Amino acid sequence: MSHSKLASIFNKDEKRVDWHDKALWFVRHKRDLSVHQVKGWEELRNLGHGIKAHMLSNLDSYLIEFEENAIKNGVEVHWAANGEEHNQIVHKILKENNAKKVVKSKSMLTEECHLNPFLEADGIEVIDTDLGERIVQLAKEPPSHIVLPAIHKNKHEVDELFQEHLGTKPCDGDPQYLTREARKHLREKFIEADAAITGVNFAIAETGGFVVCTNEGNADMGAHLAPVHIACMGVEKIIPKQEHLGVFLRLLARSATGQPITTYSSHFNKPRKGAKMHIVIVDNGRSEQLSRPDFRASLHCIRCGACMNTCPIYRRSGGHSYDATIPGPIGSILSPGKDLTKHSSLPFASTLCGSCSDVCPVKIDIHSQLYKWRQIITKETPQPFIKKKSMEIMGKIFAKPAQFEKVGKIARWSLRNLPKSMINSKPNAWGKARDLPTGPKQSFDEWYNERENNKKKD
Amino acid sequence: MGSRDNILARIKANKPDAIGLPQIDDTLFDDEYDLIKEFTKKVEVVGGNVLEAQSNQDILKQITTLIPNTVVNFSTLSDSLDFNTINLEAIKNPQELEDLDILILESDLGVAENGAVWVTDKNLPIRVLPFITKHLVFVISKENIVPYMHQAYNKLSESSSGFGVFISGPSKTADIEQSLVIGAHGALSLTIFLKN
Repeated sequence: MSHSKLASIFNKDEKRVDWHDKALWFVRHKRDLSVHQVKGWEELRNLGHGIKAHMLSNLDSYLIEFEENAIKNGVEVHWAANGEEHNQIVHKILKENNAKKVVKSKSMLTEECHLNPFLEADGIEVIDTDLGERIVQLAKEPPSHIVLPAIHKNKHEVDELFQEHLGTKPCDGDPQYLTREARKHLREKFIEADAAITGVNFAIAETGGFVVCTNEGNADMGAHLAPVHIACMGVEKIIPKQEHLGVFLRLLARSATGQPITTYSSHFNKPRKGAKMHIVIVDNGRSEQLSRPDFRASLHCIRCGACMNTCPIYRRSGGHSYDATIPGPIGSILSPGKDLTKHSSLPFASTLCGSCSDVCPVKIDIHSQLYKWRQIITKETPQPFIKKKSMEIMGKIFAKPAQFEKVGKIARWSLRNLPKSMINSKPNAWGKARDLPTGPKQSFDEWYNERENNKKKD
Repeated sequence: MGSRDNILARIKANKPDAIGLPQIDDTLFDDEYDLIKEFTKKVEVVGGNVLEAQSNQDILKQITTLIPNTVVNFSTLSDSLDFNTINLEAIKNPQELEDLDILILESDLGVAENGAVWVTDKNLPIRVLPFITKHLVFVISKENIVPYMHQAYNKLSESSSGFGVFISGPSKTADIEQSLVIGAHGALSLTIFLKN
């Protein structure tokens, strides 16, 4: 289903749309307050962009360097060409260690690979341990945001979900009580877990180590208790040196939630004594995106979610309307690269206002990449009949000034005199949610000529 | 090794021409603030609190007054034998630390811009300790506070540890309707003692 159709489902509940819009704007506002306190913020963004651009231009060597160092550290390294291979590798490691209960900390990569259903099909219990992730897991939904997975749910819905699944008492959506109950429930899962799966925020070629950032401490509770830790990373998570973390850790949390840094920034280098550590390096379309000069900068993304929080379309259409693992502006660049037909409507889910590019901590030119995808999609995928025809007709009218003048006159007259029922008729998509303005009596040309004539008279 | 070589070959073929690595110039960011004031302010912003202490005994006394009647306590400070109620050497599985009430750790690096404190498994006998404890306490010398993350990593460059973590405040979540709740899976409170 197209983005606009899915968005119209979300838009049925106007109150929810308002609330969703405000909740995300609140986060965007916190981001502004936070970054304005940092001297040299723009320089920091330039550094983030520059380091990532350099990394991509040397990615194969950095991956090899990372692998060598990780192996030296006693970590086992695996490579997966796609999601399916990733899932099989993880499954194999779990089988070898006889692991039946797995705790997972938030990882958009494992979402992208659909790891949970794959493991569950073999009777392995996979518990998402980030609170927001656990909420959507209980609701049997995908996350609707990469940093705030349950942002579309209100506290009363969480209250009901917890009553049903965790046996909590009705509490009128008290976040404090619900969080405490989740803590108890998940602590049991941490204690019993046979293996922990985490994502990777940054992998450092120089050290062979990787960094995982959380506020809840769930990645650490999992990884330091379970005898096996599997970390899954996309190839683009590499940074050359440890000192570059100084740049990215300053950028990440401020852009994501307005915090100066996440509560926990954990640097995993070697497995602890008696435990095993595995890293799965995943391509899944990334090397292909690297081949597209216009779109490769999308691989700079550090997954802060700032572009979603600021996007007027995302805030009013909800993350699920994108029908993609990574929703919002950045997702709308990444997704068409994977499946142009399925995601052909996403680059159009943007006002091209540029706010996403303005807040991006690594200066990805998000809105211009969206515009570039539109050019490709319009050529390569079938477009809706009305859109195609109206563009064709408009093209012809705009090409002939005399004809444009005539049509303009008719349009202005119609907007003044025809009944609303005719103006906002079905083919006029614009009129679905808003009224068109009253047609002015003059065209711009007429107004300008009159003005020039009056000047001459004076 | 099929996928490894394929992935690397594809990346090699698809990557852009070499782009230089930018250098980090710390001076661009220098705001010349009072380090201790800024550090204290940031720790409070992230939900922790900062106290001053003269000696290890002073720290133990203050913390047992602040958080009284705890059962399971552990500290890496010297002269804390009376405080410690568990022997870490007897712990076989990290899961046994489930009921830990207070953990006191020493750190030799704090960052003013975000109130983060660095700890590695050099002064962390069991990795899960600072995450599984109910109340987390750090002890750090004022001279070990640096202004930004850049200086922090410059200090870290020589040491290599199996595990290290920057901790900034107690664990928290805002996943239920954006209401901030302190105490998710990790510590419910964080106290930092500054020593001269």
